[in-house]
Order: sequence, then C-alpha cells, then structure tokens
Amino acid sequence: MADFETQIVVIAGGPAGLSAAVQAAEDGADVILIEKNAAVGGAANMGMGPLAIGTKYQQRQMIDVTVEKCLKLFMEYTHYNIDGRLVKRYFDQSAETIEWLEDMGVEFEGAFKYFTKSEATWHIVKTDQGIGPRAASFMNKALFARAQELGVEFMLETAGKKILKDDEGKVCGVLAVDKDGKEITIACKAAIICCGGAGANPEFIKEETGFTFGKDLFNFAIPGNVGDGIKMAWEAGAAKLPVRIEQAANFEGIDELPTAVPNVLTQPNLLVNKFGKRVMDEEQMQNTTFLGNACAHQKDRVLFSIVDTSIVKDYIRNGVDEICLVRMNPDVSDFFEGVEIAEKTGNKGLFKADTIEELAEKLGIDPEALQETVDDYNDYCDGYDEEFFKRKKYLRPLTKGPYYAAAIRPGGYGTVGGIRINENCECCDDDFMPIPGLYAAGADACNLYDDSYIFLLPGNSMGFAVNSGRIAGMEAAEYIEDED
Amino acid sequence: MAVITIDGRKLEVPDGKNVLECALDAGIYIPHLCHHKDLAPLGSCRMCIVEVEGEEKPVPSCKLQAKDGLVIETQTEEVKRLRMLALELLLAGHPEDCSTCPKYGNCELQMLIQYIGPKTGRLKYRTKGFAVNEENPLLLHDMNRCILCGRCVRACNDLRGVHVLQYNKREDLEVYTGALHNKLLTDANCRFCQACAEVCPTGTIRDKLASSEVRKEDYVVPCRVGCPAHIDVPRYIRFINQGDYASANATVREKVPFPHCLGYICVHNCETECKHQYLNEPVSIRNLKRFAAEHDDGAWKAKAFHKPATGKKIAVVGGGPAGLTAAYFGAKLGHSVTIFEGAEKLGGQLRYGIPSYRLPREVLDQEIADILEAGDITVKTGTKVEHVPTLLKEGFDAVFVAVGTHQGARLPLPGNDLEGVQVNTDFLRAFEEGTATVGEKVVILGGGNVAIDCAGAAFRLGAKTVDMACLEAYDAMTATDEERAWAVEEGVVLHNSKTFPQILGENGHVTGVEIKSVGNFRKENGRMMFDVLDGTEEILPADTVIFATGQRPTIPMDPEAFGLELTHGNYVAGKGPNGETSVEGIWAAGDSLTGTTSVIKGIAGARDAISAIDIYLGGDGNIDESLAPEQKKDPYIGIIDGFAQIPRTEPNVVPAPERVTDWKTCGPMDNGFDEKKAKCEAERCLQCDLRLCISAPRTWGDFSKEA
Repeated sequence: MADFETQIVVIAGGPAGLSAAVQAAEDGADVILIEKNAAVGGAANMGMGPLAIGTKYQQRQMIDVTVEKCLKLFMEYTHYNIDGRLVKRYFDQSAETIEWLEDMGVEFEGAFKYFTKSEATWHIVKTDQGIGPRAASFMNKALFARAQELGVEFMLETAGKKILKDDEGKVCGVLAVDKDGKEITIACKAAIICCGGAGANPEFIKEETGFTFGKDLFNFAIPGNVGDGIKMAWEAGAAKLPVRIEQAANFEGIDELPTAVPNVLTQPNLLVNKFGKRVMDEEQMQNTTFLGNACAHQKDRVLFSIVDTSIVKDYIRNGVDEICLVRMNPDVSDFFEGVEIAEKTGNKGLFKADTIEELAEKLGIDPEALQETVDDYNDYCDGYDEEFFKRKKYLRPLTKGPYYAAAIRPGGYGTVGGIRINENCECCDDDFMPIPGLYAAGADACNLYDDSYIFLLPGNSMGFAVNSGRIAGMEAAEYIEDED
Repeated sequence: MAVITIDGRKLEVPDGKNVLECALDAGIYIPHLCHHKDLAPLGSCRMCIVEVEGEEKPVPSCKLQAKDGLVIETQTEEVKRLRMLALELLLAGHPEDCSTCPKYGNCELQMLIQYIGPKTGRLKYRTKGFAVNEENPLLLHDMNRCILCGRCVRACNDLRGVHVLQYNKREDLEVYTGALHNKLLTDANCRFCQACAEVCPTGTIRDKLASSEVRKEDYVVPCRVGCPAHIDVPRYIRFINQGDYASANATVREKVPFPHCLGYICVHNCETECKHQYLNEPVSIRNLKRFAAEHDDGAWKAKAFHKPATGKKIAVVGGGPAGLTAAYFGAKLGHSVTIFEGAEKLGGQLRYGIPSYRLPREVLDQEIADILEAGDITVKTGTKVEHVPTLLKEGFDAVFVAVGTHQGARLPLPGNDLEGVQVNTDFLRAFEEGTATVGEKVVILGGGNVAIDCAGAAFRLGAKTVDMACLEAYDAMTATDEERAWAVEEGVVLHNSKTFPQILGENGHVTGVEIKSVGNFRKENGRMMFDVLDGTEEILPADTVIFATGQRPTIPMDPEAFGLELTHGNYVAGKGPNGETSVEGIWAAGDSLTGTTSVIKGIAGARDAISAIDIYLGGDGNIDESLAPEQKKDPYIGIIDGFAQIPRTEPNVVPAPERVTDWKTCGPMDNGFDEKKAKCEAERCLQCDLRLCISAPRTWGDFSKEA
C-alpha cells in the first residue's frame, strides 16, 4: 500500500541529512531524502563550516589541536555529563570527513578560531572572496550534487510526520505529507531523523526548557524547525534526553542597524544588570555562550552594555578592541549614521542618553546605583579592576555623553538534543536498547554540550551534524545489508 | 518553429519565445531572479545572462527571443564572472543575517546564493534602514530585504491591473516599492489579492498568515478549509460575481445537499476565517450562499452522478441533516438506503431545533424531497431503533447512526422540577408542533444559539419579558454575534457571567430565578473553574424558566441497550477518523458522535462516513462530483475605488417589533440579499484563490542535471 519504496529514508536535508544520504548511498543503499522546505541545507546555509580535529590544515597552520586535548576539554567542560563514546567517535572521524567533503568538491579556507580564546577547530568553507556568513551553503550544494549523482531521490516540500514500525518493532516506513498536503507513506527498512531541532517552536521551547520565546529568549527561528524529528523519535520509542537551547547572547533589536552599532556594543566595556551592578569580567563577553548564561542568571534575564561617546570616537579612529570571525571588520566609522537610522526608524534596541542618570531611567535602573557603578568603574580604569579583574587594555572610562546602551538577553541558534542515540547514532529506548532501523543525527540528537554550548571548539554543531549524519548513514546501510 | 542550441543541445522551440523559458522548459537551468513565468521579462537582475554566438557581450536570456540558428552558452567563465558580480551587487544591499528571516529555506535569493556562490567582503554592506511596515492588514513590508526585482510591481500592475505598487525613491535616492506617497494599502485601493507576496522571491513582502506548519492552500484560502465540508467558497462567490447564480449553487451542492437551508442557518466557519475581517469585516458568505440557492435552476441534477445498483443495503438511523446526507450519497452510490426516524417528520434539528421563523419549512421540505429522489431511499418515520447492531442481523450490510442530541438537561439545582420549568429541546419541539406555551415573564438559562432560539420563540408565544442568564461573559458567549444582536433587538435582557444557585417557587409553581455573579475564570487540571462572588445575589422574577444549558443524545445510558460503545455518558464512541464505531459495519456522525456542534459539521461527518461505508461495501468511496461548469478566473481584477472600505452588506431583516408580533404572516425574519446586495457583497471577496494559480518558482534544485 506504500506510495514509495526504498531502503533508507532520510528525514530532512540539512548538513546531517545530506551527509547521511550521501554516506548511505556511497555504501550502496537506496535512499529517499524528504525535506520540508523548498531548498536543502537547513540552518547551515547561514553557517560557515564544520569542526574538525587533526586535519592537514591545522598541521599546515601549525595549530596544536588533538582529539585527546579536545576530548578532555569537552569532558571537563560538561562535567562528564555526556556520552564520551559518541564524542570520541565524532572527533576521531572529523579529520577524515574534511577530506570526504573535499573529494566532492568542497574547498576550505583553513582552520579558524571563533574568538581569541577558542581553539582553531572551525573549518571554514572557501568562497571566492574571503570569509563570511553563508559559506557553508556551498558545502550543502556539493553534498546535494553528490547525493543526486549517487541516485538519492529528493522530495522537497515534503515533511516527515511519523515513523512506522512493524509487529517486531522494526522500522518499516515513514509517513509524510507532500507539497500538496497529501499524506504519503514511504516503505523502508531504516529511517534517519535529521530535522534540526525545534528553534521555531515557542511552545515546545517553553515546555522543554522553561524559556519564553520573545520575552527572555531570542533565538534564531528557522522556519520549519519545530521539533518534528524529536517528536517522531519519541513517539517511536526513543528515550527523552534534555532539549537545550544552543546558547548565545542576543543584542536585542540592533541587528538591522549598520554593523558598526552591534560591533561597538559587543566590545568588552561596562556591562550591568537591572540593579546597575557589574556581574563579570567583560572580556569574557566574546564567548557568547558565557554571556548568554550570565544574562539568563539575572533579574529579567537581561544585561546592558554601555559605552560613551569618547569610547565610540576612539573605536572609529583606531578600530575596535576585539574582533570575531563573524564580525571581522574592525571599522565602525558609520556608528553615528547607525544612531541616526535608529532614531529615524524608531529602533527600540539602541538606547541613547545625554547623562548617566537619564540613561539609567531609560534602562529601568536606579540612577544612583548606576552612577555609583560608573564612578567605581572609572576609578578602576585609572588603576586596577579590583571587582572582576578585567585586563587593563579593556578598561575604558565612561565620561562623555551621549551614552549608548543595548540590552542583551539569552539567545541561541535553536535547540540541541532530545533524542537518545548511541555512538552508532542508533536511537535508543529507556533501556539503552537500539530501536531497529531508527537513527538520528544533527541537532535533534546533539546532547553533547550538557547545559552550555561549547564555543571554545567552534564549528561544533555543523561538525556534529555532518559527522553524526555520516555515522548514521554508514550504520544504517550496514543494518539494511544485514536485514537482507 | 525555430531550432536553437543551448550548451550544445539542439531544441525546437516556438519562434520568438523567450530563450530563458525555452531553456527552463527543456530542463536546462539558467539562474534567474527577476524573471517570473507569469510576468513580462524585465532583464534587470542580470542573473540569466548568456553568451550568444556572434554577439560581443552577454545578454539576459529572458529578453532574448528564439530565432532559428541561435546558439547560446549558459556557463562560460565570463558569464559566471558577471553573474557573480551581479549577485555581489545585490547582496551589498541585502541583510547578511538570514537567520531571522521567515522566508529562510524558501527564499529564491538564498537558493541562488547556494547555486552561484556566497558573496561577502569586497563591497561595503549598505544598511537601508527601512522601518519594517506592519501596519497593513495581511501584508508585511520589509524593504530592507528588497532586491528590486520588480516582480511585485509587475504582478500588481500587469497581472492584476490593480496599480497600487510602484517604485518609490527616498530622499537619499534609495529605491523601494510601495504605494504612492507611502499610503497604507487600505487607502490605496489595494485588493489584497497578495500576488505581490506570492511572487516576491525574498522575505520583503510577506503574507502575515503564512506558516510553515499549515498547508499553503489552507492559509492562502482559509475559508475553504474552515468549512467542515470544504465547500469551494471563492469559486461560488466568483460565479455570483459573474451573474451565474445557478452555477454558484451547484458549486455548493458539490459538497452538501442542503445549500438552501445552510444559507439560512449555517454557523459559517468560513466567515470566521475570511481574510476580509482584517480589512474591516468578513464577507457575508452565508447570505451569498442563500442568494445562490434562491436562484437554483436544477441544472445540476443532470450532472449529478448516479452509480448502478449494488444490491447492498444501508440502514440510516436518524433522519436529520447528517442522516439525510448519508442517505443521499449512499443512494447515489447505488446502495439501497432505509432511513429510520423516531419523529413524525424528517429533518432532525433543522425541523425540531431551529424555529420556522428562521428556517421556512418549505425550504427544508424541498431539499429533503430532492434528497429522497436521489435514488433508492425508503423512509420509516415514527420508527425508533432500539438496538443498532440488530439491523446488521436483519439484512443491512452497513449502518449509519446519527441520532442527534434531542434531550435537554435540567441542571441539578433546587426548584428544577417546579411547574413552569421547561427544557430547550422539548420546548422547541413543541413550538414546531404548535403546542408550546409560556407565561409572561420568561427566564432562559444558557447563552448559546439554542438559548437564543428559545428566547425568540418565547417572545413569539406572547412573553412580555425574556431574561437570559449565562455563565459566559458577553464576549465569550457561544451564540453568534448576529443571532445575539437579533435577540437583543427583540427585547431579550442579557445577564452575563452569572451562576444560578436555585429556581424559586411558590405552591409548586416557579416564581423566579436567583442569579449570582461569577469571576476569576481559570483552568485547573484541565477543568474550567471560577469563583462565585458573594453579595451579588439578584432575583429574576419568572413564571416560565427554560433550561438551554446543553443537550444530549436520547440514547440510553446503558451501552448494552444501544449496542454500541458509548462515551461521556451516552454519546457514541468514535473509533476512527471517519466515524467508525465499536462494531464493524456501523459508522456514526453528527451531534450524537461529536457533541452538539452544527449542521455543517454533521454533514461533513456524514460525507466521510458514507465514503468509508462505500469502500466497506466494495465501492471506491468516491463521492466527489462536478456539478458546476468550468470557471473562467480572470486574474486581471482591476481597480475598485475604496475597496478596503466597502462595508459588509447587511441582509434585509424584518424589523424587531413586526417580526415578533406578525411572525406567523411576515415570512422568514431574515430575507437575505436581493440581487443588488448580492453583487455588491460578492465583489468584496478578496479572491484569495487566484494566488494559487500563480506559477511556482523554478529553482536549481528542480533541475538535477544542472546541480
């Protein structure tokens, strides 16, 4: 009665699904890939490249980064609260994956850090001109082309709805809805769930994480990422692991302004909470996960970054203190144009005030408390930050109005985790037993970070997506061979 | 015909056809952005450039006309370099961060970046700094994301002839699209056809109702999916607009055998969904349906399907709208149908629940007569089926149960059995049969449409005052606004957010109802809870009290007696999507399955069930029919001055005192639309369905050879 028949159905075509499809097809399986959107690539079309450890690029760039070092860092960072075997397999495979991608025509710029304190694990996909957002969409294109070459059948605008199992509890099909809204069934022996989490599903996020989208959480919401995969796996008997937000900090409402504005306000200057108090060494603001966590810990889950006119002018003349790979350009010469645009368009993210008192009122902080913090901070700038020990070079006093501020709240790239898998990317039930024929990869099954995303090893989410996709693809191909 | 060569492939194509279309139709992908199949070529984006043999410079293929011997190359290094440059220029003015854009994953620009290559770095990114305009109904404009492909302008002007969108220039020479002088679309004669949002390749002009989790057809044309029977609303409204009223009615008839009755009394979920409500008020769809039914010419009868006799027998238990629908389609499918109806006449709630001043009985009788002549249908009225599965033993091959909810409930409060206390179902039935009586001071307990009908009937029987008390706040009442307004016009006094602790009486006869205010509504463990506010007691004097607080099936509570598994007391327990029951061969639909809902929902349930029954009996279950002729949809809808401000057309309703005092002689209280009103109202339709006729974009993913 099935409308289509194949050996493996890959549900969704982001980097995890594309990698799974290519790998399974390379291993000889017949594959159908269904994708809810009209285009493949998923959230990774915005991204820049995957993590890899021990690659020739790192060797050439004389970067000392090994699986041993990264695994140790990972385990300690997560307090051993994760599946070490899965992380090990992922890391072990990561270098070879870079070559696997190169074989299908993907080129890389090299291995990069995200910010100064991170490791250079980020393998950024080469474009014709420089490093920048969307680079990984090229990788997705190559994976797509390779999959088509291998005979993978793509069904776009088709969403997976349910995993079908036979009497023995083995996967026997996938129920989906095609672009005309018609229900279709695809008979198969194995299914690989790669739906990219639930970043665009506020109810699901509220239920699973306690955050309220649009109030104390401002994450990316890639349309269609509503937890289809997680729900399908749970329904099919996979055990539930915590769903987390892939944390980052969100500078509220200033993204649409010229990049000079967010670029200035993300610099390590004065950061205060609703009580007007500092909470951390602002140098750590570069680690957007840490900053997001710090926000989440405050009253109203908000912090404010504050600069004065003299800091802005110095940045305009000499460039900003810190750059990161997504904000490479130290030039902020159009900051004041940005302020004008903000005023003209009624932007609510950027605060401007002539005095500290006025600013405090706009931010909802007690003016006296903020003034006291600014006075203390300015004293530290003349000497030593005895409160949070920020390094001298980042200590810039706030003395000259107008002052500018932005609110920072928890944000994120979407959700990670939810489905229990083992190191073979098999979905497992509460007894840790694999559900025959059911696999998951990418964000739906990415419980690698425990509660906080590891920005110290950049490229992690895409790296896990591609590598877990490959693992799922090869394991599924082997499984169906055994079944036949 | 001309023979042209694209990348070494010879193609035979019509002379003069644009070369981009020739290539795409032949499965050869040439990247493009401003080009759209339904719009005149513009040639501005430079993505579709190709090299032509014998010409010095690459030219846009969308502007190139096929002629014999034309030889072009689509992928030379020079072409690729120029395409890349064009993309770079576009992206210098387009926000870098896609992750906050709702078009992500369906954006043609994003797909093009994936195809041509992601461009960053060389050119300085220019922030346009437009405020996102969310002030317009249905459409959102984010001109920061605009790449000036001009598709929206061409769609609005050339395809639709509405002439709202044009190119505007800001003081700093930044070009954007919008209405003249940045007027609100409602003030610029916009027809809200949304063709602009449909053709926009990026997230610039967006449909506010779009959702990745809803079928496109459903958020684009919500009235059609909102109707439980999925009547093709825009189609029949267009027939009315075209003056072809009979075809409009035939369109409704394709889904339901009660178009005329529904035109009087349907709860019109279609109007609840109608997108016109975001402009001012929904289109008066129900009245248009009624107008069409009044102009039926019967021509649909000749087109209706009638399958040969199957020799199978179906028993229909309950002759209300659901049962009659099942009988109608069952007979048309070739089965022999017997309807068992407990009452004296067919019609169920249409006859015994809805008063005749709202639904004239000749209308109901005519539609029932049309149904009964559809095929082999035997009617047994005054025949109550006690035990349903017995019918299977008596020779019926399948049974359909829809016995409705004809048993009103007296709430368990002191005084509920005093003389003068009645219940909704018995009262309305007696009203139909001419035996109902009320005193001078009537209190109705309840706030739904049935309560409204009880109130109206009470006035018509001579009540001097009618008070209506219900738990719901004014805006939470389940009665429709229109029916509630009519009741208030007739003199009903509403008492909202009240509980009624007791009915008072003297010498065994009711004298009044005590009511108390309630507040602090909340949900606890899934149950609705509220507090009774002390010190708010009030007595409503009454000599008649009518309970209109819900109704149940007349099925005995003992499941053995009826022979089907029951739920929530005595409702038939549903076991599948099509009204399957606990017994194989027996299906159910309507209020006795779903709880008291609406006529249209009962009809929709009956359609699903009869289709399943037909498959069970060996048929194909197909009850689709095409009764109306093919429709000409003119996409060029043109300008209507002040379109968004045209008010909803109100029907001709007999004024309040007369319609009560002369109810026996003045005919139905609501006289619907005359032709002028119908035409005027039909013209208000946004024709949302036209948008579904616009060609889908063709992106590189569709052309596997090129990938």
